[in-house]
Amino acid sequence: MTSLLALSPLILVCATAIVVMLAIAWRRCYDLTATLTVIGLNLALAAQLLAWWQAPLDVTPLLTVDGLSIFGGVLILVATLACATLGHAYLEGARGPREEYYLLLLCAAAGGIALVSSRHLASLFFSLELLSMPLYGMLAYTYRERGALEAGVKYMVLSAAASAFLLFGMALLYAFTGHLDFAGLGGALASAGGDGWLLAGMGMMLIGLGFKLSIVPFHLWTPDVYEGSPAPAATFLASASKVAVLVVLLRLLQSAPATQDAWFHSLLAVLAFVTMLVGNLLALMQQDLKRLLGYSSIAHFGYLLVALVINEGLAVETAGIYLVTYVLTTLGAFGVVTLLSSPYGGADASRLHHYRGLFWRRPYLTAVLTVMMLSLAGIPLTAGFIGKFYIVAVGVEASRWWLVGGVVAGSAIGLFYYLRVMVTLFLPEPGMQRRDATTDWAQRAGGVVVLALAALVVLLGVYPAPMIDWVRLMAAT
Amino acid sequence: MTDEATALIAEYWAVGLFTIAVFTLCALMIGAASLLGGRSYGRSKSLPFESGVVGTGNARQRFSVKFYLVAMLFVIFDIEAVFLFAWAVSVREVGWEGFAGAAVFIFILLAGLIYDSRVGALEWAPRKRGQSPDIVTDQ
Repeated sequence: MTSLLALSPLILVCATAIVVMLAIAWRRCYDLTATLTVIGLNLALAAQLLAWWQAPLDVTPLLTVDGLSIFGGVLILVATLACATLGHAYLEGARGPREEYYLLLLCAAAGGIALVSSRHLASLFFSLELLSMPLYGMLAYTYRERGALEAGVKYMVLSAAASAFLLFGMALLYAFTGHLDFAGLGGALASAGGDGWLLAGMGMMLIGLGFKLSIVPFHLWTPDVYEGSPAPAATFLASASKVAVLVVLLRLLQSAPATQDAWFHSLLAVLAFVTMLVGNLLALMQQDLKRLLGYSSIAHFGYLLVALVINEGLAVETAGIYLVTYVLTTLGAFGVVTLLSSPYGGADASRLHHYRGLFWRRPYLTAVLTVMMLSLAGIPLTAGFIGKFYIVAVGVEASRWWLVGGVVAGSAIGLFYYLRVMVTLFLPEPGMQRRDATTDWAQRAGGVVVLALAALVVLLGVYPAPMIDWVRLMAAT
Repeated sequence: MTDEATALIAEYWAVGLFTIAVFTLCALMIGAASLLGGRSYGRSKSLPFESGVVGTGNARQRFSVKFYLVAMLFVIFDIEAVFLFAWAVSVREVGWEGFAGAAVFIFILLAGLIYDSRVGALEWAPRKRGQSPDIVTDQ
């Protein structure tokens, strides 16, 4: 019974998916489907509290419910809720079936929640697939757009290749340790030392997970997929999916101290350094806001890797806080793109010149996007600053000067392109662009979400104590 | 290190010899045939050999997308049977809990089947024009 209660968020999300599926089979009603989805997700969010009372608890050899999994689960559910709300506005005018988007979204959310609580390679793999499979469909959801179809197919092919690497790595690890659970694997790795096969296994798993996180040598898909896919799906890919994979990587690195191995450790450090620099440098001259956000997310996961590399002291707390700020900011930035794209058919309004002079037409929406850009850049008084401050603090404490230097250099480069976007927003309008949000955007659910996110980003930037306390509480168990 | 390597070689020399022999034999057969054999060229020589029957048509036929849909559904419900086999061999050990789990599993698949039939995935014939479809598909 306690294990059922501990898993109740996951069960609720799965049940919602089935209810939504039956509801679609019964009657195609767009608003009903969306309402059911949002109710189910909110119930699951409330059920995280039930799970928290049972934590920490190992449910079957496959799953565990502890602070980290509840932290990840809450972030994923919040991101999914935002994606559902934004998707509602985005798909309202779409042709063809619109209800299945929520079905795919719920399945992906279930995969994410299972992923953050998995403590076994088998559950890691199947929940990762459950997270990715619906994403193929979501990315290609507006398949009449060439870009969306391309994004979906590209993500599918590359993701399958990455999964193959992941599986091969798992097979190597299993062949040489005889364990599939994280704890047993960690013990066997610690006693085996730096055996070549084990390192190869760890490396292959890192390739698989690094692909999902778009760490630099495996990042090539990111900008194309972000650019082509419909904005709500890209939002989910950038927020919930990446949170889930990062949390499971964190758990893996914590329980399997392969990072003790000098070779593997320095490999991670190099990846973090390269990811920060390359992500920021490639973003410099982008003419497309979604591509720019894609490169910026690459850079942000470079910063997050710094916390994983150091993996001592406040590292877990840092990763948690950075994830919270990243998710809020990404949701806000993509939310604005979604609101601007939604009232029209055709490709998304993501070219930078669509945003030229937006301030003179939609001042509040512009303010939201400005806050998000400032937060991504890590300017004080926004949530992004708190996250970046933690990363630098952890780096300095562990005296990893190269990595700290990378963070500083990356942020300095990043400031340029974030400011470029902001400047574009305030340029006088030449009177030609007519991509715009609807006039009543602030009264609709999507607009409310975006405004709330902006308020939250500023609030947490000024008064971060509740967030820090919460993450610390979650990291402690 | 050298002792280990020697032991390894001693253990696996037969496999290595076999591998080398296979490659040598292949190279020998192809090489000798290409050196010694005669050659002839002609229009019909470049056609694919189909046991003496002249091929007709093109290999690049187009199938209806329905085939893939049905194949996909078949795989899904086939896998259902595979999982139920796993339950069947352990039905006494897992008891009522296992029964509940299997029941939930079958119920989910049933819901999926209802959904499939309602969205028209199981309808074999292409939809007639003018009929207001549940799903709008590009034909």
